[in-house]
Amino acid sequence: MEPNNDVALDIIITNVVAVFKTRCHLNLRTIALEGTNVIYKPEFGKVLMKLRKPRITASIWSSGKIICTGATSEEDAKLGARRLARCLQKLGFKVRFTDFKVVNVLAVCSMPFQIHLIEFTKSNRPIASYEPELHPAATYRIKSLKATVQVFSTGSITVTGPNVQSVATAVEQIYPLLFECRKTPR
Amino acid sequence: MTAVFKTFQKNTGSIATFSLPPGMSYPVQIPAGVTLQTSSGHLYKVNVPVMVTQAPGGASRILSQPVQHVIEAREPTAAQRAVAPSVLHTAAPQAPAGPCLHPPEVQQQHVFLSQCALPRPTAPPPPLIPQAPVSPGDDQFTLEGIEFSPRLLDTGLPSSFPAQLSDFQAKTGQMPASGSEVGVQGETKGDVGALAERADNARPEDPAKREAGLSCDYNHNVLEDIVQLDGACGGSSDEGEGGEEEEADGVTENEFLGMINAEALRALQEGEGSTGGGSSDSSDAADEFAEEEDPLNSGDDVSEQDIPDLFDTDNVVVCQYDKIHRSKNRWKFYLKDGVMCFAGKDYVFSKAVGEAEW
Repeated sequence: MEPNNDVALDIIITNVVAVFKTRCHLNLRTIALEGTNVIYKPEFGKVLMKLRKPRITASIWSSGKIICTGATSEEDAKLGARRLARCLQKLGFKVRFTDFKVVNVLAVCSMPFQIHLIEFTKSNRPIASYEPELHPAATYRIKSLKATVQVFSTGSITVTGPNVQSVATAVEQIYPLLFECRKTPR
Repeated sequence: MTAVFKTFQKNTGSIATFSLPPGMSYPVQIPAGVTLQTSSGHLYKVNVPVMVTQAPGGASRILSQPVQHVIEAREPTAAQRAVAPSVLHTAAPQAPAGPCLHPPEVQQQHVFLSQCALPRPTAPPPPLIPQAPVSPGDDQFTLEGIEFSPRLLDTGLPSSFPAQLSDFQAKTGQMPASGSEVGVQGETKGDVGALAERADNARPEDPAKREAGLSCDYNHNVLEDIVQLDGACGGSSDEGEGGEEEEADGVTENEFLGMINAEALRALQEGEGSTGGGSSDSSDAADEFAEEEDPLNSGDDVSEQDIPDLFDTDNVVVCQYDKIHRSKNRWKFYLKDGVMCFAGKDYVFSKAVGEAEW
């Protein structure tokens, strides 16, 4: 979607979290001993496997559920997840790459202006909440997109949502609201 | 006697027996830390004071044997010889307290620590005398009626042995440097003399052997061919080595620490065929997956070159760890008590610190 203003905002995706299932029981001890680039955390019952190529870290549970974090795009997340499943397959497990789903996307964006948070919160009363004693950012939840935007007074915002598209939409939606409450142009 | 000896051995398989000096009346208190020897030849060091009491009927059986037989039966091992002085040493102080030997009265029930007999000018009864020669090599100490959980003494003796020996000798004062007590006794008995000789021969060897250190010999034998270097005074060389190694091998080293077991495990598990099954399965899996999701095939492979390299390395560190720390992709290793094989040389360290980026 095109931004409303002529200003092109750079939305930088910093983290994509995805899950998938292997539909088979995984022996964590075998993975820990034979796998490459693994960290065994027996107290949590999981094994962390890190991949370099798409730089991702995966938490592997013995149930076969795997959470893949650290990717910078949805495609990267899927590619990394497949490579991970391939690694497990090579270790000897009957792995099936099923139920891949991106569950969270975290992006940051920087406004060219500072924001008056109290004014912003007042004008968006139920949707926005601001507790300066707890957290320096105002939280704006877009129910329709299931996205959360954290607005900082410096003009930087972080957006988390279930997918990249919702994040982009959220930024679009919130920009005019922020623009109204800007403090001073940067 | 030999027969009796065997019986004796059988009965007291797990119980250490201590023979009290003749004339000593039960119960006797043995102080802590006394090394005793069982009939089966095992050495026990009791870390608590022990009270020795007389067993109902056991004593007579043991003691009827002339010491010489017992002595012969006990092949003087280095350990046994070591035992003797320490025990004797313990007994010796008691000698002045009460008559160690009451030769006439002594009931053969007490196979005695020959050493005790020595200070006394009066010759102990012949059957008992031979015990002296036994002392260096063999002691029949029966802790009658007492059971305790023995702990085998491995090499604790060597250190105590020479000390005890010298103490003992100083105490008796009658004996010449080595095996003198034996000689004194030997006068009375020919066979004792033979034993004494054996003890004599054995004794000088023991300290030397012991002090040489079993471990030293062992190291020498096993590790002859490997050049081993101990860490220098500072940690600099170690860190330098570790640092170089870290940089050179980079991933390989920190991976290798985990992988070294993996290889062994893999070798062991080869029979299971899990990996074999996996490889065959992958081709099948590729077909299966077509229905559900895209099959995992070689297009998804993580780069293969890394893996063979990881295991080809000859640079290995075998050690214990104090702490392994990671922040994002920065790793820090605080290692201890290890051996590094680096560029064909072995380096031994008590502490090593390493940093690596993954």
